[in-house]
Amino acid sequence: MTRRFRATPYLFLLPAVALIGVFVVYPIIAVVYYSFTDYDIVRPPVWVGLDNYVQLFGDKTFWLALTHSFIYLIVTPILIILSIALAIVVNRKLRGIHIYRALYFVPAVSGSIAIGLSWRFLFDRTGFINSVLQSLGIIHDPIQWLSTPSLVLPIAMLLTIWAGIGYYSVIFLAGLQNIPEELYDAAVIDGCNDLQKHWHVSLPGLRPQIVFVGVISSLAALKVFDEIYVLTGTTGGVLDSGVTMVFYLWRQAFRLEHAGYAAAIAITLLAITLVFSMVNVRLLERQEADR
Amino acid sequence: MSGLDVARRDLPGVGPGAGPEAEALASRARRARRRRRRLAGNAAWYAILTAFAIVTVFPFLWMLLSSLKGPLDPIASVPPQLIPGHPTLDNYTRVLASLPIVTFFQNSIVVAIFVTGFNVLVSTMAAYPLAKMRFRGREAIFYLLLATLIVPAQLTYIPSFILAVNFFHYYDTLPAVILPGLASAFNIFLMRQAFRGVPNDLIDAARVDGAGEWRVWWQILVPIVRPSMAAVAIFTFVTSWNDFLWPSLMLHTRTGMTLPVGLAALQGFFSSDFRAIAAGVTMTVVPILLFFIVVQRWFVRGLAGAVKG
Repeated sequence: MTRRFRATPYLFLLPAVALIGVFVVYPIIAVVYYSFTDYDIVRPPVWVGLDNYVQLFGDKTFWLALTHSFIYLIVTPILIILSIALAIVVNRKLRGIHIYRALYFVPAVSGSIAIGLSWRFLFDRTGFINSVLQSLGIIHDPIQWLSTPSLVLPIAMLLTIWAGIGYYSVIFLAGLQNIPEELYDAAVIDGCNDLQKHWHVSLPGLRPQIVFVGVISSLAALKVFDEIYVLTGTTGGVLDSGVTMVFYLWRQAFRLEHAGYAAAIAITLLAITLVFSMVNVRLLERQEADR
Repeated sequence: MSGLDVARRDLPGVGPGAGPEAEALASRARRARRRRRRLAGNAAWYAILTAFAIVTVFPFLWMLLSSLKGPLDPIASVPPQLIPGHPTLDNYTRVLASLPIVTFFQNSIVVAIFVTGFNVLVSTMAAYPLAKMRFRGREAIFYLLLATLIVPAQLTYIPSFILAVNFFHYYDTLPAVILPGLASAFNIFLMRQAFRGVPNDLIDAARVDGAGEWRVWWQILVPIVRPSMAAVAIFTFVTSWNDFLWPSLMLHTRTGMTLPVGLAALQGFFSSDFRAIAAGVTMTVVPILLFFIVVQRWFVRGLAGAVKG
């Protein structure tokens, strides 16, 4: 390129780069620095080297939060399977199917706080779930769903799955509609039944969407916060049973004012996210190679 | 299936040589049978669709019905009572009297409009040179933006908080929620995809005719990528409308809160008064649902277009 310097492309880019520079790039650099300091937001940071990381290593709650965040990743395969199933169902040409598609999308636009509040009361001691189970005679005494440590995380995950299926199935539906009809016809001629047809044609055809949803939903699972915040009434649950990485980060930084320590948690989260993204890039490359 | 067909063909009177009337009768019967089977099959599909629709919509329906319940209607009972026996709007007046829900709305609208407007403008601008111009540093800028995509936003909240308090001095005001959201790498990426789809010949022809880059952008390209701009706008609007964590860190004065932050405050304020919380949730969910119904088509198209293989 032996072209003379032109300012135009840079002018087009200036607002975006300036905003992202100030509100994303600078904070990432700053948070790396803070992670090596003792910092309470009020007084200036004091350099402490690796102290935060050493402390993190011996912090039981941190390991618990890390475990919970990894457990939360189970939502990703479940979401992919259920969303594909739903996409296959709503891909049928049935009268009024548009209304159903719109209904399934409702949780995706309603906002996590509103949804979380409704779920919190569904699973309340005097909530709807207990009423139904008692009426059916399945349980005698109401269950304390959200005060039982082993149930908090599963309920939050169920909420994430419930709220996500409609959203992700739209992506899969678009993928399905791009698969040529002839492939299905060929499969039928080869003697495939309905299920085999989807196994041999739909799944390979949906590969880009599966990778995309896999990445998006697992990154979302790693940084889950709102659901936990509302379902546990800002506490993180009995015995920290619902504390995830971002929830712990939030508590350390903005409740306990341990900003330096929270920055170290943030860096750990970043490292995990980077590993995930690298795996994802490898998957994408393999996909390109297959073409 | 095929086994059945073979068996049927062997039936006396239906096979070849049974006469034209019998043939016609048989084919009509076959068609009726097929239609019945299809109807039965469709009924099964509708049953699945409806069951899932109930699961999806029920929590909202339950909130709506509970918000209309008076003090005499039990929230939890065995068996559960869904329909209020003494419907009342008291819960709504109680919530409106103690929390400025209307102000929450106004704040959310102001934030969402600024954030959406700027995102559409800024990403449509940035995407043009990234997709269609050659200049020094293009790859570097593009990969830097792409890299910010994978960084969880929550990671940036500690430094952003300090910036808000010490540098911008906008803590506890709406600009604190608006400014950090004005541009997003994701939107730039989406718009770049749209610009890449525009044929180069079109741009070259305009340049030959003497149009400057800004005119090419505004008069040729913007009209073409408008559907993508709509998708970016709708996504950004809904995301901004529902954003919670960052606004909850910034907004503490009651009259300055956005809806999700106010809703969380409602939970603290009415703690176990479920009827009031149900009224609050209903009031916040209904408008965004109406908005969604209006823009549904573009929303779904945008989401589908975002992941083309």
